[in-house]
Amino acid sequence: MGPDDERDEPGGGAGLTRLSLPARVAVAAGAAVVTVAAAVHMGMVFLHVAPSNTVSKQHAQAIGDYIYPEFEQNWKFFAPNPLQQNVAVQARAELKGPDGRTTLTRWTDLSAQDGAAIHHNLLPSHTQQNQLRRAWDFYAGTHDARERPNGLRGSLSEEYIRRIAVARLSGQEGRPVQRVQVRAVTTVVAPPPWSDEKGGGDPSYRTLAWWPVATADLPEANR
Amino acid sequence: MSFSKAAPLAALTRGVDRVTGSSLGRYQTAVIRIGLSFTWLCFLLREWPNRHELYGPDGPWSWEMARRLIADNHAFTVLMWSDSAFWFECVYAGAVVSSALLMLGWRTRTMSVLSMIGVLSLQNRSVFLGDGGDNVIHLMALYTVLTRCGLVWSLDARRARRRGQDPAAGPDLTGIVLWALCGLALIAAQIFGGTGLSWTTDGPLPGLGWATALWGLWLAHGVWWAVCRYAPGEPRTVLDAFAHLAHNAALLVIMVEVCLIYATAGWYKIQGSRWQDGTALYYPLHLDYFSPWPELSHALAGNGLLVLLLSYGTVAVQVAFPFTLLNRRVKNVLLALMMAEHMGIAVTLGLPFFSLAMIVADAVFLPTGFLRRLGALTGRARDRLLPARRKALPPQREGETASRTLVG
Repeated sequence: MGPDDERDEPGGGAGLTRLSLPARVAVAAGAAVVTVAAAVHMGMVFLHVAPSNTVSKQHAQAIGDYIYPEFEQNWKFFAPNPLQQNVAVQARAELKGPDGRTTLTRWTDLSAQDGAAIHHNLLPSHTQQNQLRRAWDFYAGTHDARERPNGLRGSLSEEYIRRIAVARLSGQEGRPVQRVQVRAVTTVVAPPPWSDEKGGGDPSYRTLAWWPVATADLPEANR
Repeated sequence: MSFSKAAPLAALTRGVDRVTGSSLGRYQTAVIRIGLSFTWLCFLLREWPNRHELYGPDGPWSWEMARRLIADNHAFTVLMWSDSAFWFECVYAGAVVSSALLMLGWRTRTMSVLSMIGVLSLQNRSVFLGDGGDNVIHLMALYTVLTRCGLVWSLDARRARRRGQDPAAGPDLTGIVLWALCGLALIAAQIFGGTGLSWTTDGPLPGLGWATALWGLWLAHGVWWAVCRYAPGEPRTVLDAFAHLAHNAALLVIMVEVCLIYATAGWYKIQGSRWQDGTALYYPLHLDYFSPWPELSHALAGNGLLVLLLSYGTVAVQVAFPFTLLNRRVKNVLLALMMAEHMGIAVTLGLPFFSLAMIVADAVFLPTGFLRRLGALTGRARDRLLPARRKALPPQREGETASRTLVG
């Protein structure tokens, strides 16, 4: 399945037969090494992207060692089914006033802010389209139903979400944030009008516990 | 066609001669180089105002958090060598400059390595920011290093042509200085880089550390130069054969990678109930994060027949693509369809950089004749826009053969 390659290379073919024996051995060895390396690479990538199967289950460790971290890939765009829900990450803060009293802000829809930034935007930024969205995916993927983290990645994802929320809330409140709370509101996309399926129903809420905000969580400018 | 017993052997010899004696797909690899470094460059410039928030030491994904994750996943990033804001600015600016020079094809082989370091450093620093487009750029940056992607449409090719016309040309001073600087930078990295550069672990492949990989590339470049200068006979031919082999293998890997992207995207979709009932496309068009033009999205999604056709068409094209490579004409039709679909995705789903990266990756399958015509058209357009340059430059004759001896 080569490309439609050009045939204007001069003397195309090194003319292996014209070389001395050591040179021929060197080229042959090189060809063997490159062939094996390419075959191993393509095999490993194939087993990595293929569904879990007899071979990939048996050699999961070797495949993982080969693929991670630099050849990791995932091409299940909207597959097997596209995402069918809008997840809005919202946050509210407990602020400390100058008189020492604390006040509670209303819920701010951080995802809606992203949505507004993306609206009529030909070049959406990763800060608008990926940062919060993927941070929440990261959190959801590393926590169980009782919000317990699954180790290093779980605790990193908490810190990540907290820092994003604090950075965005501090920007709009201008007062120090003492504690912050995050929730995710999931709304199922209503089925198409021509479908006989039932509508999505009410949004569901996943509310996390209040997190105390450490100095390290604050953006540089607000410390 | 002869049916004698010697025929398969002769065919094998011819095949080996071809992959050891020529770099195939020179225009296709040039398109990959130009297209992907252009995409990455545009991305870096677009995110310039947000660079601190995305990759900087004090962004939401802080340097310290990245350090903890990388201690676990061992990804390569020079940004972990220091948490200073100055180092970060240097790396980001370095990524911009190296990708621009790679696009122009200036010292292509060196720039492909530097540009890869830029891609890996930024993406691995903040892994939870990327999407499919970043993933494509990441993989292709690694593969491109092994290709001779500067043989055409590059400043290197132009320089080689000029040197070929000038027998009195002196030694390539710039190249020597650049190579020496890279060596010094590697020594500095080895001393100050901490754990990032090891010889046998935490590298691109198991058992191969980044120190071995980078020093190996540097050494190969030096040996190449020395052999070209002092042993232009057989040793030169052997090194040429190695370079051709690595290039052709990397090109094959790039093509297989593109096929795997479409195959997995398609085959996993076939299993989904929404792709089966033909409503799949309706849903992304109603996702807030992927509908920058809601009026357009909702109008599209409102037409049941159109959604069905587009959903089925997408799956059919993605599943079929690898097989159409057996037939040139069908392949070209599908290529055009896929590129058109990605242009649509760029706007409707608000994924311009992902779409551009995919279109460039598709372009590795474009026919050489088409690419050469495109090159000639571009050359003429440039001459018309910049008439003053026409006299100053020798005529661009793409595919000229003098480049063989001078462009690595």
